[in-house]
Amino acid sequence: MRDPGASAERTGLAWRRTGLSATAVGLLAARPAFHPDAGAPAWLLAALAMAVWVAMIALGYRRSRALHTSPPQPGRRAIPAYAMLTVALVTLGGLVVML
Amino acid sequence: MTAAVNNQRVLGALRQWFDPEKQPTVGRTPDYRFSLANERTFLAWIRTGLALIAGGLACAQFLPPLPVQHLREIIAIALLLLGGVVALRAVDHWARTERAMRLGEELPGSKFPAILAIAVAVGAALLTVAVLIKAAR
Repeated sequence: MRDPGASAERTGLAWRRTGLSATAVGLLAARPAFHPDAGAPAWLLAALAMAVWVAMIALGYRRSRALHTSPPQPGRRAIPAYAMLTVALVTLGGLVVML
Repeated sequence: MTAAVNNQRVLGALRQWFDPEKQPTVGRTPDYRFSLANERTFLAWIRTGLALIAGGLACAQFLPPLPVQHLREIIAIALLLLGGVVALRAVDHWARTERAMRLGEELPGSKFPAILAIAVAVGAALLTVAVLIKAAR
């Protein structure tokens, strides 16, 4: 059997779900930039949040690709990097709230 | 002396986060299915953290101004910080589990789920009281 217990497939789907959660956070962080009175700081924070979001989606995509090999590659640096990007979203979100 | 030891421990933990396989290479590579299960647990915690972060941002953007000054922002920042702590704890737990599996040791236990559950319950209780007080007025 190629993937007993569908481990690789379930892990790929978990990355996808996590990407969707990151999308929700990215959109909420960018939302104030669409307000008619939004200024440069809001635009900058929205751009940075979108950049972090792109990095998270790219990381999830790359990790899912690495799972297609047999046996699947174990996750290494993608995991702490993803946690750091989450912390970056916390920082950007904090700035958006205090704006 | 204790400061130096502490520093070393923190640096060691950080290195272990970024490469649990090389910290230094210990034990044997576990069955990949166990590693992937550990990874999925990490991702589930990250989603929990992201949900807390989204909740914080939603508080700041969708709540009306509250009677106490800046209370809305304080709630939002508290949720954001809680999300950040969840993310950091997730990667630490992932690295420690990976290491324990390589060494064939007992998997690390954690009080964190209980602490988070109590924090969420206390937050919910406070909000319930606030809503009841507002309704009674």
